[in-house]
Amino acid sequence: MLALTRKKGEALVINNNIEVTVLEIRGDQIKIGISAPKDVPIYRKEVYLQIQKENEAAISAEGVDLLKGLMK
Amino acid sequence: MKAKTRYFGEIDIAEDKIITMDKGMIGFPELVHFALIFDEERDAKEFSIMWLQSMDDGDIAFPVIIPSTIVPDYNPTVSEEIISPLGELTPDNTYLLTTVKVPSQIDKMTSNLKAPIVINMENNKAVQLIVEDDYDVRFPVYNLIQGLKREKAGE
Repeated sequence: MLALTRKKGEALVINNNIEVTVLEIRGDQIKIGISAPKDVPIYRKEVYLQIQKENEAAISAEGVDLLKGLMK
Repeated sequence: MKAKTRYFGEIDIAEDKIITMDKGMIGFPELVHFALIFDEERDAKEFSIMWLQSMDDGDIAFPVIIPSTIVPDYNPTVSEEIISPLGELTPDNTYLLTTVKVPSQIDKMTSNLKAPIVINMENNKAVQLIVEDDYDVRFPVYNLIQGLKREKAGE
């Protein structure tokens, strides 16, 4: 992982079209501003991981077999 | 397009019925081709489980439902930009699906209302996205489904 040090108000540019700015630093929280093309989805990682986990659970063979039984 | 599937045997789906998800399902970016498998005898408006069968990996099929059949006021806010690659969406060509998860106890089954799948039925392009609305990732559906079944039986 690339680690860069930034101060409040400083930014990073990724791939010519995504800009990440440190807006505010307060204690152990920082506020980040992201300018990206609007078709680039940006999610909080914990939410993204939760959805990924649900997708993985949805395709479990055991669950699918139970479900097929229910729908008969 | 042919696929050997775990649950439906060998299937051969016409190219114009293949659903393409350029970004894949969340967590499964490599799976981009799907077939929607459903019971043709059922009315589209009626509750039923359908299957989003991966054509790239026959072992993978996502059980899905039309969420409005169990949550009539389901109306997530969908970012126009995220769905813009799907082309022009109208109420007539848009299909909204949500995945269903069944744990070992079937009465604990849930649907993920937080991450619907939007399909443009005209060009068969689809995307799964995460909505900002306060919808449940594990919305319990078993009792609702049983209720609907009883309603139908009592008709």
